[in-house]
Amino acid sequence: MIGKKILVLSAIFFFLILSIFFYLLTIDRDPSEIPSNLLNKNVPIFEAESLFKNKKFISSNEFKNEIMLVNFFATWCKPCRDEHVYIKRFADEKNIKVIGVNYKDNTEKTIKWLKDLGNPYKEVLIDKNGKIAIDWGVYGIPETFIISSNGIIKYRQAGPITNEIYKKIILIIDQNE
Amino acid sequence: MNNSVLLKIIFVTITLSFLQSFSKVSYTVEPDEILKNSQQELRARNISKNIRCVVCQNQSIDESNAPLAKDLRILIRSKIKEGNEDKEIYKFLTDRYGDFILLKPPFNSKTLILWFLPFIFLVFGVYIVFYHNKKSK
Repeated sequence: MIGKKILVLSAIFFFLILSIFFYLLTIDRDPSEIPSNLLNKNVPIFEAESLFKNKKFISSNEFKNEIMLVNFFATWCKPCRDEHVYIKRFADEKNIKVIGVNYKDNTEKTIKWLKDLGNPYKEVLIDKNGKIAIDWGVYGIPETFIISSNGIIKYRQAGPITNEIYKKIILIIDQNE
Repeated sequence: MNNSVLLKIIFVTITLSFLQSFSKVSYTVEPDEILKNSQQELRARNISKNIRCVVCQNQSIDESNAPLAKDLRILIRSKIKEGNEDKEIYKFLTDRYGDFILLKPPFNSKTLILWFLPFIFLVFGVYIVFYHNKKSK
């Protein structure tokens, strides 16, 4: 009798595991996407050269008082070009301060790229060897982070911003204001 | 299941596992990355073998050609040269990429099920086989 009970229990247990497995298979998610370990933590401490300013960018002095976006991009990255229109909308329509981190790129090409497509960035930081990206746990560009007014990372978007993600980011910004 | 079939499966499994151990593993560390101090280089290689390439995900950074894997290999070597302990380097990486960057998941409250589930299944499996055998007799 006890044996039969255990048999039934193990069968239920097995089907439960199977259901979880099928649920994870069928839901709309990208299994290659890595959750950010920096969510709800302070922005990394780093210093960077600025593309258009002579002053050094010191992270501990910058991320305060207002919600900001940090966008890792490069001119050689096609999805970065695709999402650029949304980065511009954040800056122009929503008046959000966007910091661009130019990842392993050519300075002249970046200046031309921003001239052609428009420059939505308050500041463009140069990440020549990808060290700043590692500090932010970036594993592919474009990536965009929402930083709260007290310097806490609230959201990370790995991959390009689409219309749907644009709305999602606006919603998160509104919630954190 | 027929005993001879079971024996064949076991034999094939053992043979494949044995052959796997001789398979060639390619390393992608480039000459300019290698440290002059062989002890430090050995440490860097050992750490790199335990770090997942977050781009390709099924390879360690020691085997991966991905640019990020190279950046991480260089970073590990520079941290070793700066005098960081292995533990500090692992912490630096997991602080940024989470435990996912470790090829071997650490044993903690989050991974408890991952570590124990195979044993639970084994116990259940053994019990079911014995129960079934006892009944069929």
